[in-house]
Amino acid sequence: MIEIRQLAKAFALEKGQKLSEAELQDVRYTGRSFCSVRDVSFNCENGQVIGLLGPNGAGKTTTLRMLSTALKPDAGAILMDGKDVLRDPLLARRRIGFLSSSTGLYGRLTAFENVAYFARLHGMTEVALRQRIDELFTLLDMHSFANRRAELMSSGMKQKTAIARAVVHSPALVVLDEPTTGLDIMTTQTVLDFIRALKVAGTPVIFSTHHLDEVSSLCDRVVVINQGISAFNGSLAAFRQLSADGDLRQAFMSVIKQESV
Amino acid sequence: MWQVYLKELLELSRDRKTLMFVILLPVLIFPVIFGVLGLVAANVTASAQAEEHKYVIINADKAPAFAEQLFYHKNFKQVSTELTEPEALRQAIRAGQFDLVVIIPADFAAGSTELVQSQWTVIYNTAPVLDLIGNYLKDVVKDYSRQLQLARLEAVGVTGKQVDAVLEPVQINKISSAENRENLGEKLGGWIAYLLVPLCFMGCSYPAIDIGAGEKERGTLETLLICPISRSSLVLGKFLTVLTTGLATALITVLSFGGWGYLIGSLAGVDVVAKAMSALGFTDLMLILAMLIPLTMIFASALLSLSIYARSFKEAQNYIGPMSILVFVPLALALLPGVELNWKTALIPMTNISLCIKELVKGTIDMGILTLVIASTVVLAGVLIAFCVSWFQREKVLFR
Repeated sequence: MIEIRQLAKAFALEKGQKLSEAELQDVRYTGRSFCSVRDVSFNCENGQVIGLLGPNGAGKTTTLRMLSTALKPDAGAILMDGKDVLRDPLLARRRIGFLSSSTGLYGRLTAFENVAYFARLHGMTEVALRQRIDELFTLLDMHSFANRRAELMSSGMKQKTAIARAVVHSPALVVLDEPTTGLDIMTTQTVLDFIRALKVAGTPVIFSTHHLDEVSSLCDRVVVINQGISAFNGSLAAFRQLSADGDLRQAFMSVIKQESV
Repeated sequence: MWQVYLKELLELSRDRKTLMFVILLPVLIFPVIFGVLGLVAANVTASAQAEEHKYVIINADKAPAFAEQLFYHKNFKQVSTELTEPEALRQAIRAGQFDLVVIIPADFAAGSTELVQSQWTVIYNTAPVLDLIGNYLKDVVKDYSRQLQLARLEAVGVTGKQVDAVLEPVQINKISSAENRENLGEKLGGWIAYLLVPLCFMGCSYPAIDIGAGEKERGTLETLLICPISRSSLVLGKFLTVLTTGLATALITVLSFGGWGYLIGSLAGVDVVAKAMSALGFTDLMLILAMLIPLTMIFASALLSLSIYARSFKEAQNYIGPMSILVFVPLALALLPGVELNWKTALIPMTNISLCIKELVKGTIDMGILTLVIASTVVLAGVLIAFCVSWFQREKVLFR
């Protein structure tokens, strides 16, 4: 179980940085800092898929970066099965798999080498990593391009390699930051199938998205982040009920409007 | 850390640009460039020396022996002109009619025993750096003057060995206390550093950009940061990669130049390279390497810090470009006349290494100062590595 309590994160603004009109109206800009995340709390049970929604710049990526330990929160707590992630980030990193649509691969390494490199960084032995990679490559139908350099792959092949890399160490939690943004239909389907497979395997998934159809078909719970605050945290059914006709778009808009008032 | 190091090396070894900088440039391109430059310079000098310069001599009948010497000089060809006025003759030279005018005064008498100095005028273009006309003329005038000196001294009864005693009462026999190696070191030592140090820098710069800013640009950095490996190990793995390529470039270049020099030397029957190499012992070479390692550490950590800070490959190139020019400043300082290795200059980064290499090649190194140079470079390298490691921990650097 993952529990996120009252996360907050501010970034110092560069000296002389000029703010746009929209930024000036954003309450999170205070003096010389930008409070990207002010108060985000939610939790995720084993086997659940959580959809993280919110307008651009709401604080979703910062939240996921804190969750994956790439960024250190200024306040709040992240607990994985009761253990404090912030106190022992290395332990947490062993249990988290991370993927985003902008995640790149090492172009001059082959699919196998890309995945094996991260497996080694996760401390896997040569025997274990070869066995696991063989398993993943079979699952994702990657054997035909296992020895092809990433720079010569199609976008679908790249995304499959990125997926294999993200889960090569069999993570206890998978974090996805807008994993389908900018991808074509076929590649998007690969990612969605991957999330579905994780759900079936009982691996919790937290992913941010702008695509409400993905939320509708995959998520058990929904968290809406607006201006750095978790404005909604509940089941998909409860989220639907925010709209008279169960429309997710209307539900989302009602949360955002409520917060803005 | 070693996983990161091995992966970075594997990736760089597959990169054409890195291979070009680390291997192709020092092994083939540099020797070809220097070779072509040498050939061009040799050809230009040879054709300049073979050139025939047209001259005009006014009042040649007053100094027939001189006129004859000039006439039979292989680089001079006599032409005639109606002009006699210096300004008109100068204009004729500017117009390209001839190259040199020698005006012998009308009252000059070669056979006169009267002890009066005669003032001659020569007109030619003195602007070229290689003053060939001036040098040729100087030799002819020197010979002619010697003839006059002998004749005049003979007239006053000075003959045989007395002539030398009058013309050159004191002759200096110079015996150098310096060994041949010292002379060679003084001339070549500074330039060795001038070649090696920028090569170490160049060998570091492209890989540093690729594995720092390049990692950000490719979107692989974030994934790397959430691996269960400390950020110090990550950055040290990258640092070691940059250090390796920097040292490899310098070593490959030295070996390449040595190899090419030996090849050309043996083909042309010149053993300059063999002499130069025999002057340096194994210990000296190891000491040069011992200085280059911490120096390359300085470059690797500074370049990696800049590269990590940059948002993109291009931004990193913008930072590192001007830095590569700055590297030459302390090296040029070491080449200035009068700048010697002492307890003060031993503390100036890069200048100290350059001066040390010079002293090592000369064979006159003070081991105390050498220790100080290595120690100060190691300390500076340590500080910069620590900075680089701490720099890599900062979110505002990694997520700019």
